[in-house]
Amino acid sequence: MSGKDTVRASLKAALPIMLGYVAIGIPCGILSDSIGLSWLQCLLMSMLFYSGAGQFMIPNMWLAGSPIASIIASVSLVNTRQMLYSTSLAPRCNNVKRGLAFFFAATVTDESFGVNTMRFESGPWTVQNATLVNVFSQSSWAISTVVGALIGSAIGIPLAIASFAMTSIFICLLVTQKISKENIAAAIAAMVGVYICKLAGLSGAAILIGAIIGIAAAMACSKIGKRA
Amino acid sequence: MQAIEWGDFWIILAVCAVTILACRTLPLMLLKGRELPEKVSQVLGYIPPATFAALVANDLLTPGMFSAGIWPAAAPLVAALIVVVVAKFTKSLLWCAIAGVAAYALLTLVLV
Repeated sequence: MSGKDTVRASLKAALPIMLGYVAIGIPCGILSDSIGLSWLQCLLMSMLFYSGAGQFMIPNMWLAGSPIASIIASVSLVNTRQMLYSTSLAPRCNNVKRGLAFFFAATVTDESFGVNTMRFESGPWTVQNATLVNVFSQSSWAISTVVGALIGSAIGIPLAIASFAMTSIFICLLVTQKISKENIAAAIAAMVGVYICKLAGLSGAAILIGAIIGIAAAMACSKIGKRA
Repeated sequence: MQAIEWGDFWIILAVCAVTILACRTLPLMLLKGRELPEKVSQVLGYIPPATFAALVANDLLTPGMFSAGIWPAAAPLVAALIVVVVAKFTKSLLWCAIAGVAAYALLTLVLV
């Protein structure tokens, strides 16, 4: 692939994420503005931290009067699921220079992990492509949060509806997975696991724990399959 | 509510940025380039379906969601089913996002 083609293919892959990030980034900036964060602070958050869930949690918890230590602990806990993405993407970076691998890993989100995993599986897709998807996605997120902070509450976007764009992307990623009995076991167990975590009041770690339960179920399933 | 000050902002940003950076980069940098046992590679392959399902469930399921009646809670589930159909036919993230938002908006704004 020539340089220009690489950029074009990556932009095409990133487009659904970029549009989704506009839809939720603007409300995120509006919410940030409501606790007194400036556009510059939104930009710093989006560049250095870059977490949709985290950037919604911080203003929400601040509004609820949570102490700083508990804001930090809750936000960090929610983001531990990134370890799974990082682990999953490691073999893709085997022949990639350390600098690029680090930059790629540092800019992964739920959505860009999903899109890049899909592309790596259907191939040909390189870490350069994947990193560009991350950069395009992060740019869209950063610009949208800044715009949100600048316009303040001038426009009202119903957040539940806007954030359904992300839910829809996750559903698409899930149902386009290869259908095998291990994958089905993983998906069902992960969903049940998330629900049980929420019932038990562990919503912060629900995604991570649910996913680990799903992985365990898939392994158990493949072991049983071998024995039969 | 007290507006957030730069001092508090820096503490929250610095700690959250460092913890997420560690979660994002450490596993990849430590595992990259290593010969992984077959068992481990197999586990890596289960990460995508398990995490996507967990993300979907996290968005759609809340304990007590039906306590205020079936309909408001069923709206996202019905919209999700529509997205499943669109995903099966188009395999396109963009069409899924558009169809999902449109279906959810119609179901919550128009039909309730």
